[in-house]
Amino acid sequence: MEAFFFLLLAVVSIFSGLMVILQKSPVASVLFLVLTLVCVAALFVMLSAPFIAAIQVIIYAGAIMVLFLFVLMLLNLQRFTEGAWSRFQITGVVVAAVLAVVTALLLRAVPLPADSGFLRETPGLGSVEAVGLSLFTEYLLPFEIASFLLLAGIIGAVILSRRRP
Amino acid sequence: MEHEAATAAHSSLLWLIPAFPFLGMLINGLMRRRMPEKAAGILASAAMLGAFLVSLLVFLDLRALPHHGRALTQTIYTWFAVGDFHVDVSFLADPLSAVMILVVSGVGFLIHVYSIGYMKGDPGAVRYFTYLNLFAFFMLTLVLADNYLLMFVGWEGVGLCSYLLIGFWYTDYEKALAGNKAFIVNRIGDFGFILGILLMFATFGSVEYGTVFDRAAGFPYGSAVITAITLLLFLGATGKSAQLPLYVWLPDAMAGPTPVSALIHAATMVTAGVYMVARSNLLYSLAPVSLTVVAAVGAFTALFAATIGLTQFDIKKVLAYSTVSQLGYMFLGCGVAAFGAGIFHLMTHAFFKALLFLGSGSVIHAMDHYFHHAGIKSNAQDMRYMGGLRKHLPSTYWTMLVGCLAIAGIPGLSGFFSKDEILWKTFASGNYGLWIIAVITSGLTAFYMFRLLYMTFHGDFRSAKGHDHPHESPRVMTVPLMILAGLSVVGGWVGIPHVLGGGNQFEMWLEPVFERGQEIAALAHAGEHGGATELLTMLFVTLVGLSGIGLAYLFYLRQPKLPEKVAAGAGPLYGLVYNKYYVDEIYDAGVVQPLKATSNHFLWRFFDVKIVDGLVNGTARVMTEFGTGVRKIQTGQVQNYALAFAVGVVVIILAFVL
Amino acid sequence: MDLSRFNLITIATPLVLGAGVLLVMLVDLLSGRANRRPAQLAALAVVLAAAAVCLATWNTGGVSFFGQVSGDGFASFFNLIFLAVAFLVILAGPAYLERNAIHFGEYYSLVLVSVMGMAFMAAGTNLLVIFLGLETMSLALYVLAGFNPARQSSNEASLKYLLLGSFATGFLVFGIALVYGQIGSTDLARFSAYLAGAGDPFAGYMGAGVALLLIGLTFKMAVVPFHFWSPDVYDGAPTVVSAFMSAAPKAAAFAAALRIFYAPAESLGLPWERILWILAALTMTVGNLSALNQASIKRMLAYSSVAHAGYLLLGILAGNELGAAGILFYLASYVFMNVGAFTVAWMVNRRGEGRYDLGDFAQLGFRRPLLAAMMSVFMLGLIGIPPLAGFFGKLYVFTAAVQAGYVWLVVIAVLNSAVSVFYYLRVMVIMYMRENEALKDVDRIPATFAAVAACALMVILLGLIPGSVLDVARAAVASMP
Repeated sequence: MEAFFFLLLAVVSIFSGLMVILQKSPVASVLFLVLTLVCVAALFVMLSAPFIAAIQVIIYAGAIMVLFLFVLMLLNLQRFTEGAWSRFQITGVVVAAVLAVVTALLLRAVPLPADSGFLRETPGLGSVEAVGLSLFTEYLLPFEIASFLLLAGIIGAVILSRRRP
Repeated sequence: MEHEAATAAHSSLLWLIPAFPFLGMLINGLMRRRMPEKAAGILASAAMLGAFLVSLLVFLDLRALPHHGRALTQTIYTWFAVGDFHVDVSFLADPLSAVMILVVSGVGFLIHVYSIGYMKGDPGAVRYFTYLNLFAFFMLTLVLADNYLLMFVGWEGVGLCSYLLIGFWYTDYEKALAGNKAFIVNRIGDFGFILGILLMFATFGSVEYGTVFDRAAGFPYGSAVITAITLLLFLGATGKSAQLPLYVWLPDAMAGPTPVSALIHAATMVTAGVYMVARSNLLYSLAPVSLTVVAAVGAFTALFAATIGLTQFDIKKVLAYSTVSQLGYMFLGCGVAAFGAGIFHLMTHAFFKALLFLGSGSVIHAMDHYFHHAGIKSNAQDMRYMGGLRKHLPSTYWTMLVGCLAIAGIPGLSGFFSKDEILWKTFASGNYGLWIIAVITSGLTAFYMFRLLYMTFHGDFRSAKGHDHPHESPRVMTVPLMILAGLSVVGGWVGIPHVLGGGNQFEMWLEPVFERGQEIAALAHAGEHGGATELLTMLFVTLVGLSGIGLAYLFYLRQPKLPEKVAAGAGPLYGLVYNKYYVDEIYDAGVVQPLKATSNHFLWRFFDVKIVDGLVNGTARVMTEFGTGVRKIQTGQVQNYALAFAVGVVVIILAFVL
Repeated sequence: MDLSRFNLITIATPLVLGAGVLLVMLVDLLSGRANRRPAQLAALAVVLAAAAVCLATWNTGGVSFFGQVSGDGFASFFNLIFLAVAFLVILAGPAYLERNAIHFGEYYSLVLVSVMGMAFMAAGTNLLVIFLGLETMSLALYVLAGFNPARQSSNEASLKYLLLGSFATGFLVFGIALVYGQIGSTDLARFSAYLAGAGDPFAGYMGAGVALLLIGLTFKMAVVPFHFWSPDVYDGAPTVVSAFMSAAPKAAAFAAALRIFYAPAESLGLPWERILWILAALTMTVGNLSALNQASIKRMLAYSSVAHAGYLLLGILAGNELGAAGILFYLASYVFMNVGAFTVAWMVNRRGEGRYDLGDFAQLGFRRPLLAAMMSVFMLGLIGIPPLAGFFGKLYVFTAAVQAGYVWLVVIAVLNSAVSVFYYLRVMVIMYMRENEALKDVDRIPATFAAVAACALMVILLGLIPGSVLDVARAAVASMP
């Protein structure tokens, strides 16, 4: 049962991920991106991390995507007009396929150690409490650095949106 | 002597020798804008005088030590240490470096003083003195270093200063190319030099003289690795000391101010290669192949440059080829394991060649001013526009005459003793072929030097216009000339050979440094007391020199300048005069032209332009082609970059997995 | 809660910088529209304060914040390098920014925030901190590269850097995820302990994890084949920014690489050695050959910095103490040469922003002899001519590689250095030899000149006392937990 849902979500998210880049209409692309993010959120639920799943939906699928849509509509972009596949796209597909195969090759089937990240069973791992605790203890510093990362982003946005001479 | 470094006494004076010119450089460099030109010259000269006086003190200290313990060291600090390899910034004064520092600071001081007069009124004078002091600093570091790496620092430093000073007055594109050539050619040499040092480090685990020589002494005679090291080092020497095939830059380097040519391109920097070979005498003695190469390259360069010197009209070019030729002699001396003779010639050559260059500078200075005043546009360095300057530049003439006699090897003068020692050692070591080449060169040298003297100072002034004439240079320039002339006379008396009743103190003085090398080369004192044979060869060489002078006299002085006038005035004598002219024609057609053709068309056009320049340019071109190919990948397209990125990722991952 | 787990001493330097970013923004806000001087002075003060704090807390902070950072000598050493670069570009920058009418206060806050990110890259003992530091640094750099919105090349540089940088970041994050998947932690101590203990270090997800981590970092170092962005970005970005970008981020990337890979290097075995060997050889060769016939000084310096990344990889590959300390020394000297060279490049630019032709240097040796001499110091230093600092950097790193047995790679490196002579010397040849093309004179800008002079002095000074600096670097490497 779990495997079935996992496979379903995985296939849907990969499919919609592909559609994001294959769609000619930007709005459709964004909508497929929303679908991808929702699928990932569902995967988080399956990993018993409901809080992260909720955050994923609210922030990414919700806020950010809405912002994207707004921007797209404000810009009033036309559909991408592109004819046959360009050389880049073909090589891109080939390289992506090779990359996928190679990456799969890497994952040697070896029993994982008991404390590995994939096997670790921590009760309430994705709960609000657990996330909050780790954010304010073990991961306090990365959390704070991330705030400066955002600050840099804000300064950058200010610069790039400055009226062009 | 076995463990020179271990037993060497300490001296706290050595650092002062390079420090003086460094200080002068610093003050002149930092106060460039506020410094009056004259003060800069005096300061720079004073710095050199300081270095000279300290060198003298060091020399006296050395003399006070027992014969075999004559070495003073001073370690400033440990420069760096990697593993068990450490290099100190440390100075060594032994008999060899003592000679070098005395020559460099002494001759350097005189040239600095001379420059005060020569550079008068030049807007770049302060900069000039800054560079000159910087040069002296590096040169003194080079000769005082107690390890190859510090020597290399000096080696590169003097190269840099030389380059800066060649380009000091650059005005035209040709000179720009000349400097370029100097740079590239020297880079080839330096590459060999640094490879040699690396190989030396890899072999002996040290670059410090004492350690390297002690460890090398344990290697078998003719060892391949030592041969490789010495050949690589010698490649560096051929670059710096302008030997075949890397000599090409030196004649072009004459673009710089003449005192620079005297100091850097005659007396000091270009002899660095000879010094280096002499310093490494133990290594070279262990590598007979290298010694042969050194001797052969030296002898052939000597002859080759001398033949070119015959055909030049630019007064400085003649001296430049002469320098190349004389450097060849020094290498010949080193190559037959007569290192002491090589250094002896280095010293006397520093005196008389500095003198000749400064004298030519005085001539150029006078001609330049004359042309300027008379409103003539002409080449102030071309001897065809000179002549008869003896009347107008008496001090210059007499001093240059001394210089010419010295270089021609007239008995009693410095050049005679040093050149003779090289020739005798070559003969005594059984290298008769090289000896013949050297003797021929000696004759050619005498010929072209007196050709220069006659064309410049004798006969009639060929640029006469009105009553104006060139004027003698100021005392600040002529006094150094006189001192150098004095040195050119007496400088050789420290090395009068035994056969002439002298003690050859110079060789005795250097003996501790060269002893080990010469013992290995099995040439120690060979033919020291050659008696009659030595006297005979000496006489023969002297006669060759004299006949060179005589021929020059015949061709350039006795030959009438204006045949018609002589013909009209002398009437019946016309035939004879004509004949004389005819002799000149024969000489011209039979000797000068073929020589000229060979040197011009083959040696210069073909060898120099095609082979040497071709090699230099070709290397650069091949490299550039490579670059263009690689650059084509850089398309500017992000997609391409991402593609290359992804391919790289695939390859790396595969390497990890497989 | 146990507050002693949050030892602020360990992050004192980035903390000062973070506060400084806010201070500079505030000062800039308060100081009127046209006047950027207060912001510049504030930024300089912040850098000096951070440097003072860095020196005062040298190697005093241990591992803290639940093992996330270590305020050891290693971090202090790198912080000093970053701060020196920041100081120089802040000191030298205004003249350039004024010239291009892009003198905004954000320049200073972005430089500071980026340096703060670098400080975390050097101090991080957890992949997460290193990653966040790297992203903070990069984000600021993306913006700085596009700091001249009026110039298309600047925008293009920014976009290229952003796209490829994000691409590389993707690999880095994926690598971190795989490492976490294998060992259940992003802690570096756990990481090296696992690798040391594992029979097959690349079993499971670890091979891919290590490979992707390496790729993410080598992108920032501009290692071939992940280097393509660097010539385009250095060329298109405002030159003050290129000076900054070619120096500090490269140092930061090597700091992070040493943090991650120095301890476990020995247990990584053959595939690791093989990959680094090839990357190093490829990087120096491609970098040097490409630099050979560049007409633009900026592109030439960009390729030269690619080549230097190749030399530096030798230190990582050597994996011994000398290699690591050698990298520290190398970077300490390299940043001054590069910042100096880029700064001189824009000082002498006489054809406008669009054309950084080597011909700009014509006759510089005669018009501005001191400036030309300093440029020569940078070029000779980059070649590695003794006694300049560049020589010792190479000596240490190459010696370390020889000690580790990579003789042939060192031979390749030496040959590459010989090739590099051609293009570095060309600058000098042009300065001293080329015909005057009646170019306009080079402006006299005292502050910028002072920055260049400081660079030249450092290159000479580090060459005079390499032994003592290397001792400090050794101690710094040894202080890593």
